[in-house]
Amino acid sequence: MTAPIGDHGQARKLRWRRAKGGVFVTVASIALLLALSVLVVLITTTTLEAAKLTGMDAMAEAGIAMSVRAFNYETDQDRESIPYLSVSNIISGSSAEEIGIKQYDAITSLNDEPLDTMEQAWQILATAEADEDGMLNLSISWVPAVDRLIGELGSQSIPGQLGQYRASIESLNPGSPAARAGLQEGDILMDANDLPIQGRRKAWGAIIAVAKRQAPSEPVTLTIERDGERMDVPLDAERSGTLVAERDIWEAIWDFATSLDSPNRPERAGLKSALLGTIYIMLVMMVFAFPIGAMGAIYLEEYASKNVFTDTVQILIANLAGIPSVAYGIIGLQIFARELGMGNSVLAGGLTLGLVILPIMIIAARETLRAVPPWVREAAYGVGATRWQVIRSQVLPVSLPGMFTGMILSLAQAIGEAAPLILLGASLYVNYVPDGLLSGFTAVPLQIFSWVFRAKAGFNTVAAVAILLLVGMMILLNALAIWLRNRYQKGW
Amino acid sequence: MTNPNTSTTTTPEVLLRSQDFSLWYGDFQAIDGITLDIPKNRVTAIIGPSGCGKSTYLRALNRMNDLIATVKVDGQVLYHGQNIYGRGVDPVQVRRHIGMVFQKPNPFPKTIYENIAFGLRINGLNDAMDDRVEQALKRAALWDEVKDNLYSKKGLDLSGGQQQRLCIARALAIEPDILLMDEPASALDPIATAKIEDLIHELKQNYTVGIVTHNMQQAARVSDRTAFFYLGRLVEVGPTTKIFENPDEQQTEDYVTGKFG
Repeated sequence: MTAPIGDHGQARKLRWRRAKGGVFVTVASIALLLALSVLVVLITTTTLEAAKLTGMDAMAEAGIAMSVRAFNYETDQDRESIPYLSVSNIISGSSAEEIGIKQYDAITSLNDEPLDTMEQAWQILATAEADEDGMLNLSISWVPAVDRLIGELGSQSIPGQLGQYRASIESLNPGSPAARAGLQEGDILMDANDLPIQGRRKAWGAIIAVAKRQAPSEPVTLTIERDGERMDVPLDAERSGTLVAERDIWEAIWDFATSLDSPNRPERAGLKSALLGTIYIMLVMMVFAFPIGAMGAIYLEEYASKNVFTDTVQILIANLAGIPSVAYGIIGLQIFARELGMGNSVLAGGLTLGLVILPIMIIAARETLRAVPPWVREAAYGVGATRWQVIRSQVLPVSLPGMFTGMILSLAQAIGEAAPLILLGASLYVNYVPDGLLSGFTAVPLQIFSWVFRAKAGFNTVAAVAILLLVGMMILLNALAIWLRNRYQKGW
Repeated sequence: MTNPNTSTTTTPEVLLRSQDFSLWYGDFQAIDGITLDIPKNRVTAIIGPSGCGKSTYLRALNRMNDLIATVKVDGQVLYHGQNIYGRGVDPVQVRRHIGMVFQKPNPFPKTIYENIAFGLRINGLNDAMDDRVEQALKRAALWDEVKDNLYSKKGLDLSGGQQQRLCIARALAIEPDILLMDEPASALDPIATAKIEDLIHELKQNYTVGIVTHNMQQAARVSDRTAFFYLGRLVEVGPTTKIFENPDEQQTEDYVTGKFG
């Protein structure tokens, strides 16, 4: 009797399968947990970065554009670099202009916190408490530029000490804090508190460095040499005022999404051309991949007979769906950009990404067609419908929503692709909106890539916000796909 | 019920005849050399235990099995003397003349009106569409129940029995010669079943019906002739009363008396 042996084998096989299933479930849940935690970490860190965008926006609103400079000085033992924030631009009509901050002034503190970097400034603006109207009132201190603080300085070399200079006042600005403090033309500046002043260029830097270390109301003590005599003069170097800005996170994001890129002003840089580029590419992808994918699926599922050719095509499609997208970039570069002369245009980008999603599209569409129960077809054949009539009037109407769902899901994946577009030669800096199929373009992932590699502080912040927007777009598209599926799903 | 004996005495015209017809699913032979006539304006029932090939046979009569890739056939099915499996015969044309109603009610996921209009439209019967829809629904005894929401109700919103009558109306609308019914009441409750059976009686006046059923009482109630299938073969065919009361074959008697099946 073979039955017991067979049964035994069957039982062993079942146990093995169950054990394998257990391992699979464990591995899958660990992988899912890992993926989720990576996502959570990504979103929290980018959100922290993104908060700075509101600060950046508020700073722009207050009317100040800044850049980081540094004042270097040397002692016998050491060489130190003290960074400070220099005002590169003041927007007219802003509260910064009203309180008298001018170009080339140095911002020393904001809300009583000393400032070294722009990120600190944005952070303070992003987290400061606003009044009930959402307005920020921030105390700000600054040291006026050297010509307004003192006047013209000159350098004198120190005899016997090669390369060492001293700073002297060549002409005093009447009405300046220095004039009020009693400094005179011809005075030689020696020290600011304990910092030695090493030449004309470094005098102002030393004053800022000292001012930053103490409260705005405390004067900087300058040690000067006048007629061979040393004396200490208290200089009222710092000025303060109240900066008024509106902080509005949605306005910040809206401004960000609707302005063009800026090469070196992160507070001005926006995602407009990348967003539009991505949308245009998506449209090209849809127009290209949906009909071809749907038709391919209909052919394979409804018409093709099962033979070596269709089996091969099936295997090829499954494999194409798994090929790294960068390979499609090479195909796109050669075929679309070069052979067909499309260059690095919206059309070439859309077609290349269309190739990336085409196999996924075909697979999804075939699944949908296969899910149409046989009795729907039988019913139509039963009243004398031809194959095409069955497909067009019965099978397609019920499977189109499923095909759209598949397409949206693959679109959501494709909009995150940077590699094929980079290979295609898409631009990393685009400060215009694509105006047609053959226009150059950039896309959101490319823009992120470009920002991450820009040196100036603040571009990492805008890159973080762009990442959040991209993730948001993907979640939206996936939600749309789920909604479509649930809305039109047939309960047969 | 009409007297089945009268139907055999007048020897009606044979509309559909299978001759030595065999069918395989891949290597498995489901039907083995069946020769059977389906006479005009009669209800021919096919009975037999599960797996005897009765549904397969019925579906072969309008080439519905063509949709299954592995099916092979041998022999002939003659419709008005022409072999429907012959060279150059379009299965679509065959199905337009030989309609079918399936085991599970399968209205299209569309409105009641569209369920009927679809068949009319693809068959080029575009004139007087509304009249044709109304006629078909009346013939299927469904008109009074659905006339107020032809356009608002979906076919799938109807009850099971109504759905099956809608499927019958859909099949009748394109005016086939023959209506094949594959266990049309097996998924229905007794009241809906009775309605379908009454309908089959009505249809006999104008149509030729072939019906597969595993319910012997149903076969006895609705049919004029009954064929008994067993393991892919035709065991016996004859007037329904004879098959149920005095069959020639022992196997038939065993089956109709409930000894197996």
